[in-house]
Amino acid sequence: MVNEQKKVMMEVKNINLRFGGVIAIQDVSFDIQEGEIRAIIGPNGAGKSSMLNVINGFYHPQEGEIWFRGEKRPSMEPYEVAKTGIARTFQNIALFKGMTTIENVMTGRQLQMNKNFFWQLFRYGPAIEEEVEHRKRCEEIIDFLEINHIRKSPVGSLPYGLQKRVELARALAMEPELLLLDEPMAGMNVEEKQDMSRFIIDVNEEFGTTIALIEHDMAVVMDLADRVVVLDYGKMLADGTPKEVQSNQAVIDAYLGVAH
Amino acid sequence: MYFRETGQFKSKYKEELAAFPIFEDKIGIAIAALLAFVLIPIFGLPGLSWDFTMSAVMIPVVIFTITTLGLNILLGFAGQISLGTAAFMGVGAYSCYKIMTIFPDLNALICVVLSGIVTAFVGTIFGLPSLRIKGFYLMVATLAAQFFLEWAFIRIPWLYNYNISGAIEVPYKEMFGIVLTGAKSEPLTRYFVCLGFLVVLTWLASNVIRGRIGRSWMMIRDMDIAAELIGVRPLTAKLSAFAFSSFYIGISGALMVFFWLGAAEVESFDINHSFTYLFMVIIGGLGSITGCYFGAILVWVVPVILKEYGKSVFGIDAFVMENFTTILLGVVMVVILIVEPHGLARIWQIAKQKLRLWPFPY
Repeated sequence: MVNEQKKVMMEVKNINLRFGGVIAIQDVSFDIQEGEIRAIIGPNGAGKSSMLNVINGFYHPQEGEIWFRGEKRPSMEPYEVAKTGIARTFQNIALFKGMTTIENVMTGRQLQMNKNFFWQLFRYGPAIEEEVEHRKRCEEIIDFLEINHIRKSPVGSLPYGLQKRVELARALAMEPELLLLDEPMAGMNVEEKQDMSRFIIDVNEEFGTTIALIEHDMAVVMDLADRVVVLDYGKMLADGTPKEVQSNQAVIDAYLGVAH
Repeated sequence: MYFRETGQFKSKYKEELAAFPIFEDKIGIAIAALLAFVLIPIFGLPGLSWDFTMSAVMIPVVIFTITTLGLNILLGFAGQISLGTAAFMGVGAYSCYKIMTIFPDLNALICVVLSGIVTAFVGTIFGLPSLRIKGFYLMVATLAAQFFLEWAFIRIPWLYNYNISGAIEVPYKEMFGIVLTGAKSEPLTRYFVCLGFLVVLTWLASNVIRGRIGRSWMMIRDMDIAAELIGVRPLTAKLSAFAFSSFYIGISGALMVFFWLGAAEVESFDINHSFTYLFMVIIGGLGSITGCYFGAILVWVVPVILKEYGKSVFGIDAFVMENFTTILLGVVMVVILIVEPHGLARIWQIAKQKLRLWPFPY
């Protein structure tokens, strides 16, 4: 629900992103309010993932501003963006294949861990205490997402649906303020989609995490999202509640085609 | 059956995070330690003379295990390939020589550690290309390090103190009245120095790898984009891996010259040696510390022992045996890599898995 009292967490203003002559994103502006689930939808190639990459710092738009928590964000590298409390999952699973589930989730704690090299070298005192402390936190997240049984399995051998869930766990381990989900339900069956939707709502409600997600499944988007942005060919078509977007003529044309 | 964690409950995360959480592992380590520290130094290996065991089998294999550890940290854990291993060992050896010349009163062991630190710096500099390039291209860049350093070892006479032979000449050093280096040193002393280094360095490596820094290396190896997104700075992670790995390789280089060879020229650091170390890592198993031991033992000890047995037991001509072992080792390597591309460490893991359920197949 659009709630006027809610604070704006992130605002992107007039973003233009070009790769040579290809215009990926053209003059797109929208905001993400604190505590909401914001969906970004659009046909393939609309620039949705590029938009997330801009927010993440992978791409640096030629024009436009990103305001985060009321401040204009300077051009940042991805690892700097991570420090500001933005986590993300990927469209194609980007887990660390050589590690087990628990190790993958532990990697999410990387930024919270700060004991220096010499403690690490001896794995004694503060270093091991820190390790145990973060392990506890990770176990909580593993419990929360119900992946206890695969804790010690190498992630490469897990089924797709579980891999997606481990990736969500890893992002949650970062304790982000803003969680970006790039097609969290791609390639899942109905049951897995239901599970995933439940987890997304739980994360939003229990941790109060603001979520921005890209998704193609309209039923999921319309049920989950508080507000929806529609992109097509890098341009913004519509912005509003699921109901408003559904009845928007431009959106219908983009999705269903239009007679010429 | 023989190897199982059933019934070994851990009620604290700290216990579970221990190096050897399972009782059977502790027994295995104890046996290996007994062999390396007591049995082999007393009795030698069966069928080989004691002197030969020490100077041609045990000392070099311990040193090469350190090299392999270093290379495995870079290649197996951080995923950055390097073909300059032998040259970095050379950096360790030459810098140890220079440190010993400049500070003649400094303890030999401290010189070795310092030379490791010098190598870490050099390794970091040659690791800089890894920030832009990956895989085969990086391999070629490190190849440049190999050629450049080899050139430097020949063309910069300052490095070998303007010796006419152009080689490193190991000076006489002692500690607590025990001769450490030089022609008069006992093989046993040198062996225990190397073994001491190996034990400490293995322990440190396993600590770092299981902690935050080790994880950041593995993140970069497995998926650098995701790693960056979680807050790992590629520059820090990659260069720290190069530095840490070069530290090990430098120490092994210094040990090789000062505690094994006794004198060394640039030939000891040529590219063929780099390939041998790469072999050890790959055969042993990328990303496994146990694998470093397996790899070094298979690639170094097995051929030496075969050669000796061929001569002493079967009376085969040494030259024939030399060729035979080379062929055999080549075949073994190819077979291992086809059967299990992840090396001996993975085979060991599978064996443990099987023993867990033995006599049932699954």
